[in-house]
Amino acid sequence: MTSIYLVDDHELFLSGVRAELSERFDVAGSSTDVDAAVDGIRKHRPDVVLVDVHMPGGGGLSVVGNVLETNPDIRFLALSVSDAPEDVIAMIRAGARGYVTKSIDPEALADAIERIAAGDAVFSPKLAGFVLDAFSDTVPVEADPELDQLTPREREVLRQIARGYAYKQVATRLSISVKTVETHVSAVLRKLQLSNRHELARWASERRIV
Amino acid sequence: MDDTATPNQQERQDRLQVLSGHVTRSSDDRVVAGLSAGIAARLGVPTVYVRAGFLSLTLAGGFGILCYLAGWIITPDQKQYGSMIEADHPATTGQQVGLALGFLAVLIALEAFGLWFGPVVWPATLVIFGAALIWDRSSAESRKRLSRLARPSENGGGRSKTQIFVGAALMAVGIVVVLASLDSIQSLGPAAIAVLLTAAGFMLLFGPWVWGLFEELSDERRARIREQERADMAAHLHDSVLQTLAMIQRSDDPQRMITLARAQERDLRTWLFEPTGLEPTGTVGEAIAAAASKVEVDFDVPVEVVVVGDRALDDGLNPLVAASSEAMANAAEHSGARTISVYVECTEDAVDAWITDQGAGFDPQTVPDDRKGISESITARMARSGGEATVVSTPNEGTEVHLRSGNR
Repeated sequence: MTSIYLVDDHELFLSGVRAELSERFDVAGSSTDVDAAVDGIRKHRPDVVLVDVHMPGGGGLSVVGNVLETNPDIRFLALSVSDAPEDVIAMIRAGARGYVTKSIDPEALADAIERIAAGDAVFSPKLAGFVLDAFSDTVPVEADPELDQLTPREREVLRQIARGYAYKQVATRLSISVKTVETHVSAVLRKLQLSNRHELARWASERRIV
Repeated sequence: MDDTATPNQQERQDRLQVLSGHVTRSSDDRVVAGLSAGIAARLGVPTVYVRAGFLSLTLAGGFGILCYLAGWIITPDQKQYGSMIEADHPATTGQQVGLALGFLAVLIALEAFGLWFGPVVWPATLVIFGAALIWDRSSAESRKRLSRLARPSENGGGRSKTQIFVGAALMAVGIVVVLASLDSIQSLGPAAIAVLLTAAGFMLLFGPWVWGLFEELSDERRARIREQERADMAAHLHDSVLQTLAMIQRSDDPQRMITLARAQERDLRTWLFEPTGLEPTGTVGEAIAAAASKVEVDFDVPVEVVVVGDRALDDGLNPLVAASSEAMANAAEHSGARTISVYVECTEDAVDAWITDQGAGFDPQTVPDDRKGISESITARMARSGGEATVVSTPNEGTEVHLRSGNR
């Protein structure tokens, strides 16, 4: 059974998620603050960590950053009430494998965890939209065009996800296998995490001002 | 000394202490490397005098720079050392006089050795220390002001007046001597010199004070703005969130509660993440989001909106927004889907909108002619504006409406 670890500063939310997920997953533990989370995750070595973005003491970003330094094999799914672009992009850049909002229904959340445990990335429609927006057709100034551009196929997959289709439906609609969809999404995630172009940061900050 | 230091750290600290002559460089109060602040802390005198000393020594053939560099190399940084080495108490008057005389002796010795930039050094030293006295007074006064705030009964003495007077006198003498020794300035005429002198004097005397006043004003302004923001937020939360929470507590219909909560959530998000508080700027995304929230309220179905490459809404795009709104309402009313997805993409050539539901779906061939929803409100409306609409629906799988409005 996939083991998971929960990090959220709201006890009520923790117990709710624990109740919803305990049937399908082995809940290894949970923490309500950053330091306890980092220690707990290192001790229990869960497959997937569900981490809240906004917490006192550095928030989800520092949990992901600290744990990945010592345990690069642990996977993170960011779970937040915020769907502000700068939060989403920051968590993904820090190394989270997916980002979903807390309004997600339990079934979809469980699927997302399974997918991340299997090594894939999870893009919500909103996240797909942000990525398309950030990697829009502006001419890249930076030296690494490979990294800074999405391929037409990746773009098409993201569009389908943004339109609310699940991976399986995307596969059917584009006449490709689910595995291929997953490959494209993982490639996009990697580009998002590695891309060093300034536009990404600028885009996120501009979004806040607009 | 830091009591919590481990033996190893202690040993390291001791070694560093011997090497550096018991001086650490300050990390917080620094102009170049924090050496002056470190020496001042060690001696128990205000930093400004040590800075003045280095400046004067620099006029002595650059000796000050040499000393500073040497000090920089041999002293550890505050962080490196672990803490700041400080005198137990501020220097007593005797110690102060001793330090001043020692410094004077060094200057005289340097002059005797010929490390000297000429006759300007002595008056310049006077000016520098005069300025230091005045500067120190102003900082002493602000310290006093702070302590008075804490203990209203305590009142400062008259030390600062003497200090400012001595400082001003030193500077005036220094400036006069400098000017007297420079022929070029004398040619400007006595009136110009008088004006210059007065201006410089005023600047040096009142500059720190005016600067402090200015800082204080901007501090106050910042505090006022913060207070204003807090009040705005409280008012907003009261008007919206608290009202909604009250309504939710009174409601016993779960569906109604969900609708209220979602509407409030949307409202709060808009307010939080668009903090400028300006009126909507009128973009395609905003118009679509507004239409979506209306559908949510009317039909109790969540609508997920994703907008890529938002742009300003013009007349040519109004039909697209209206048709999207109609498509959302149709989906909410007839599909029975749990959520509706709206995806809008603005590119250079066109604006595309997809309204997708994964609900009941229908067979477009079997829609009776008297049902005008799709044909009139969506297809024909888009066609009239030069755009296009495609409706793809499969029974039991859902419906997708694609709207496209090209740029003219």
